[in-house]
Amino acid sequence: MINTITKVYDPISNEFCSYRITYTNSNNIRCVPLDEANKDYQAIQEWIADGGTVIDNPPEETP
Amino acid sequence: MAISKIPSAGFQDNVKFRNIIINGDMSIAQRGTSEASVGNSFTYFTVDRFKLGGSGSSGARFTMSQDTDVPTGQGFAKSLKMDCTTADGSLGASDSIQIVQRIEGQNLQYLKKGTSNAESLTLSFWVKSNKTGTYIAELRDTDNNRTISKAYTIDSASTWEKKTLTFEGDTTGAFDNDNNASLRLIHWLYAGTDYTSGTLQTSWGTLTATDRAVGQVNLADSTDNDWYITGVQLEAGTTASDFEFLPYDVNLRRCYRYYWGWWDKADAASNGAIGGMAVNYSSSIVYISGHFPVEMRTTPSLDQGSGTAFYRFLRASATDFLDDFELSTNNGRTNERGYELFNNSDISGTAGHGGWIRCNNASAFVNFDAEL
Repeated sequence: MINTITKVYDPISNEFCSYRITYTNSNNIRCVPLDEANKDYQAIQEWIADGGTVIDNPPEETP
Repeated sequence: MAISKIPSAGFQDNVKFRNIIINGDMSIAQRGTSEASVGNSFTYFTVDRFKLGGSGSSGARFTMSQDTDVPTGQGFAKSLKMDCTTADGSLGASDSIQIVQRIEGQNLQYLKKGTSNAESLTLSFWVKSNKTGTYIAELRDTDNNRTISKAYTIDSASTWEKKTLTFEGDTTGAFDNDNNASLRLIHWLYAGTDYTSGTLQTSWGTLTATDRAVGQVNLADSTDNDWYITGVQLEAGTTASDFEFLPYDVNLRRCYRYYWGWWDKADAASNGAIGGMAVNYSSSIVYISGHFPVEMRTTPSLDQGSGTAFYRFLRASATDFLDDFELSTNNGRTNERGYELFNNSDISGTAGHGGWIRCNNASAFVNFDAEL
């Protein structure tokens, strides 16, 4: 069962680059690409549509 | 050489890759060979390309495994086994499980579905169960929400039997010509009344849930029950040809398109399997990149074990310990052909240092998943 979904940002460009899924009672994680043909990406969109909240902590912009 | 010198066998089964099903001999199992307590979920557990499907809330559980029990003298070495470990003799209406293979639409265009020349399909497979009776095999066109089901009977308990079912061509609804799932081959193992209370739909038509699995026995009604299958072949036409055996490496590479076990747990157990070359982009960021052995179906997910010091980065006579990796996919940095991973949370190194990554824990694994 999904525990959390977090947006991941590229450390060089600061661009949103993937989702990170953690699961309840599991040490396994899944990193999901931004690709509409990926089944995990599709599942995340359904999860969001069903009311799930994605954790989003974007890096601070450098002035 | 005169044509008369070519043995007649040279002309038999001369349509290569005629089997639409991948890994029908159950020989590849990258994720592992056994998974206990599986139930009504949509997950790949053991044998490549064969997914457990299900619905409802039944407490029935199975051990799903790759097994060596096979029909004698047929050339098979492996089968897929479902062994009931927790029974449910009174299924709820919505309860079901199935063994499913999903097939890309671009691999099905030659079937000419949705035209007056639509090809029939013939399904053949070997099956064995102590639970005799009626079982259902279904083809489901997910592009057009159409389906067709056929019943087969396991006649003799605990005896391998070959079954052949022919499905007529469907003149309605073309398959999409893309890399998404268009067709599902579904073997039902139990089904509640939501799937059994109608009349079995033995001709192509719009999906009606209650007509999908009429007559299906309940494989979950006793922990004595098990079910084996191998030699699954789906091919154009109205007759079943001999199973198309492929070389192991060919079969494995076909599976890699959907799932690539880069480091599995057996590799990790050796505590030293190399994962790839890596470089310190800066003191706190390490990047790892490489190519997949075959082009994957789509940009894959990164599936991995995560924990304190599960991996290590060896560089310039020093070692950094990493918990896991992130996947960089913006701007195509990871795509169907290759990957770019990074870690920016566990590194304290020197910019420009090169090195390599190894597993460092028996529970570590790193796999790429582009399944349907």
